[in-house]
Amino acid sequence: MTATTSLPEVAPTGGTGPSHPAGTRGNTLLRLRESAADYVFYLPVLVVFVVLFAIPVVQSLYWSFTDFSVRSPEPEYVGFANYGRIFNDSSMMTALWFTLAYTIGTTLIVTVLAIPLAVVLNRRFVGRNLVRSVFFFPAIPSIAVLGLVWGFILSPIGSGVLNTVLDAVGGLGPVPWLSDPQLAQLSVILVGVWSQLGWHAILYLAYLQSIPSDLYEVATIDGASRRQQFFTITLPLLTPAVTVSQLLLLTNGLKVYDLPFTLTGGGPGYATYTMTQSIIQRGIAQAEFGQASALAVVFMLIVGAVVLLQLAVARRLEGRIR
Amino acid sequence: MRTRARWGSVTTSLVMIPLAALVGFPFYYIVVNTMKTQQETANSPLALPTSLNFDNYVEVFQTLPLVQSFANTFVVTVASIVLMLVVGSMAAFASLIRQTWVSRAIAAMLVLAFVVPFQSTLIPLYRMLVDWRLVDTLQGLVVLYAAGSIFCYFLIQGYMRTVPFEVIEAARVDGAGVFRIYWTIVLPLIRPILITVGVFQAMWVWNDFITPNVFISSPRNETLVLQVYSAVGQFSVNWPAFMTLTVIVLIPMVIFFVVMQRHIVNGLVQGSIKG
Repeated sequence: MTATTSLPEVAPTGGTGPSHPAGTRGNTLLRLRESAADYVFYLPVLVVFVVLFAIPVVQSLYWSFTDFSVRSPEPEYVGFANYGRIFNDSSMMTALWFTLAYTIGTTLIVTVLAIPLAVVLNRRFVGRNLVRSVFFFPAIPSIAVLGLVWGFILSPIGSGVLNTVLDAVGGLGPVPWLSDPQLAQLSVILVGVWSQLGWHAILYLAYLQSIPSDLYEVATIDGASRRQQFFTITLPLLTPAVTVSQLLLLTNGLKVYDLPFTLTGGGPGYATYTMTQSIIQRGIAQAEFGQASALAVVFMLIVGAVVLLQLAVARRLEGRIR
Repeated sequence: MRTRARWGSVTTSLVMIPLAALVGFPFYYIVVNTMKTQQETANSPLALPTSLNFDNYVEVFQTLPLVQSFANTFVVTVASIVLMLVVGSMAAFASLIRQTWVSRAIAAMLVLAFVVPFQSTLIPLYRMLVDWRLVDTLQGLVVLYAAGSIFCYFLIQGYMRTVPFEVIEAARVDGAGVFRIYWTIVLPLIRPILITVGVFQAMWVWNDFITPNVFISSPRNETLVLQVYSAVGQFSVNWPAFMTLTVIVLIPMVIFFVVMQRHIVNGLVQGSIKG
């Protein structure tokens, strides 16, 4: 499960330190290998994998081809009917559409803002540590709670603080941040950007700090401007960070649920409805297990494709850098 | 040249500090309003409170079982993290002492878990927990969070290569069994990665909303985040009380952030930078 929401999921094998040549290791291990008990250490993780991943995935696949629901508790084969219905149902299609819009929106905006932010946070200035911490902090608390807080800030009535400020500054009437469909979608995306920006900037910062400073010294001596240095040194050396960060943003975006759910509840109408909310609504609340399973399978295929891409690109980049 | 650099630094500060203030604004907003009455919040939402008034804190603690939900969250987080780290490190240890085709096959199989989002297993898992009578229990949440052990396995396994094999070999020659080697030699040696992974997974479990929202229904089993969500309706007109609730819930996270900042950033980098 990649539900570790904000975790970098790439690079499961972070190889640090010297690895031992397989041959010599094999000999020294002879005595250990005599004991079959060693494999017992795999047992817990295998139980976790079978019970929490393998069996549920197979069940989801099976149910997605049946009419299994509270109304028909004996699953009966219905072919691809559930899959076909996804594309004819407006709530499921809007969910798919908004999930994609959120994913692409947050990925693009965060990437465009986080790189310059990281470059600035890498310079020396008064208050730098405080500024870094403040930008990073929104990634720490639960986004569900932050979504609720933003609900108050964006509220159209009375003390909605953003509207109060807009009114005081420019005499603008209350802006329906959360009750107009397009504005609600924009609000969700912008709050999503706010909560993730600093986190990704810190990720880029870590990569920036690993760029040797003599590269810049040489470039300065050669007369390269700051801008040229950014485009010819910084950006190319940041490529691995861009891959990691973007693919994290993509997977987290596709799996988004907490933020729209607590900020808008999926509304107005279905404007900010997500695929996850749709699966939960169909599968748990309405107990249409077959239909919800089909949606879950489609969702898994989309996320799976992105994760596989993520692993493939990361592996390839790694090969090029070494 | 030096003065120019200094001026540049001043400009950066002048730009970045207001920007940071903007980013941190929601936190300022909720904190100042915890010490106001409803009337004051409506009239001047951004002003500093006129006095140190803790009535809202008293009210929130009186109306909600916050201690209970804090205890629930704490127990679930600690139990889940211990379970994940034990399961993950055991498997990583197995892959260290057994570098055979079986180990490679298991590793390849476990990678598949990364392709499966929680949402896609949600409905079968829900029905499974119903069968096991674990829906709406804290144990049920811990069972679900155990899924995180696979992520732990991969991070720990990467770090375990740094364990000098001679140490294990020596212990073996001295007659120590595998369980003793795992427990008394390997676990202490990999403590840094256990802390990093533990901190990261703890943030996930503590903050998680989707699992308790789907699996917990009775108020006495609510986690903190779920309790905040359920209380929105209750405090829909009393904004200061709601802000107070969120501040109370955020305080442990702020402390955690300040104490663990180094480990959090470490974990963030560890997962992405190699070597």
